[in-house]
Amino acid sequence: MAGRVLEAALQLLDRQLVDKHGRLAGKVDDLELTFPEGGGPPQVTAILAGPGALSRRLGGRFGARLEAVANRLREGDDDHPARVPFAVVAEIGSAIGLGVAKAELETDRLEAWTRDHLIGRLPGAGDAPD
Amino acid sequence: MRLTDLLGAEVVDQAGRSAGKVHDVRLVQDGPLVGGFGAALRVDGLIVGRRAVGARLGYERRTMGGPLLVKLAAGWLRHDGRYVAWDRVRAIEPDRIHISGSADDLPRPAAPQ
Repeated sequence: MAGRVLEAALQLLDRQLVDKHGRLAGKVDDLELTFPEGGGPPQVTAILAGPGALSRRLGGRFGARLEAVANRLREGDDDHPARVPFAVVAEIGSAIGLGVAKAELETDRLEAWTRDHLIGRLPGAGDAPD
Repeated sequence: MRLTDLLGAEVVDQAGRSAGKVHDVRLVQDGPLVGGFGAALRVDGLIVGRRAVGARLGYERRTMGGPLLVKLAAGWLRHDGRYVAWDRVRAIEPDRIHISGSADDLPRPAAPQ
């Protein structure tokens, strides 16, 4: 039986990611395509999101700067863009619905880093409501 | 490999003639099961052409409806759109994709089922 047909740039790229609680969790900036070990056409294995993925689309000097900044604002020494495995995708429509919470995603890394290292250290930050 | 490695790349046939650039990548959901999503999306082929506007508006798909004036304009813009089935892809280089056979043999993109 023929499966659902999608056009990647038109129907996936730049779509909003929404977690299982309805919270915004980034946008689809690129897709990871993987060749299966047994041969055959590549398959979509992950959504790539955030500045690290977007920078390659922007290209040029600005894209390189953006990627360098994204890599610095990240825990550890990995330099890959935030990756959302396609296995957690629940539905594809005008937005991409995910079956997990935003906090479980790599796309949350930059926001968490900024909260912990910058915003959280401002005087009075502890008084802010959740 | 990333989707953006394919988008915008120039497609050339065995004789070295250009068939245009990749405007979109058609995916079919009939791969192996992946988590809660069901069957994986696999790459079925490339939508190529020399003019990008019709493809970016979705008018490479023949089932796309009006508005009438936009449809007519996009119909003219899409007339060079062609479809490269993935089994014709021979090599992928940065910004260039080599395909087997002739660019003249490439069909128009079919409407998705």
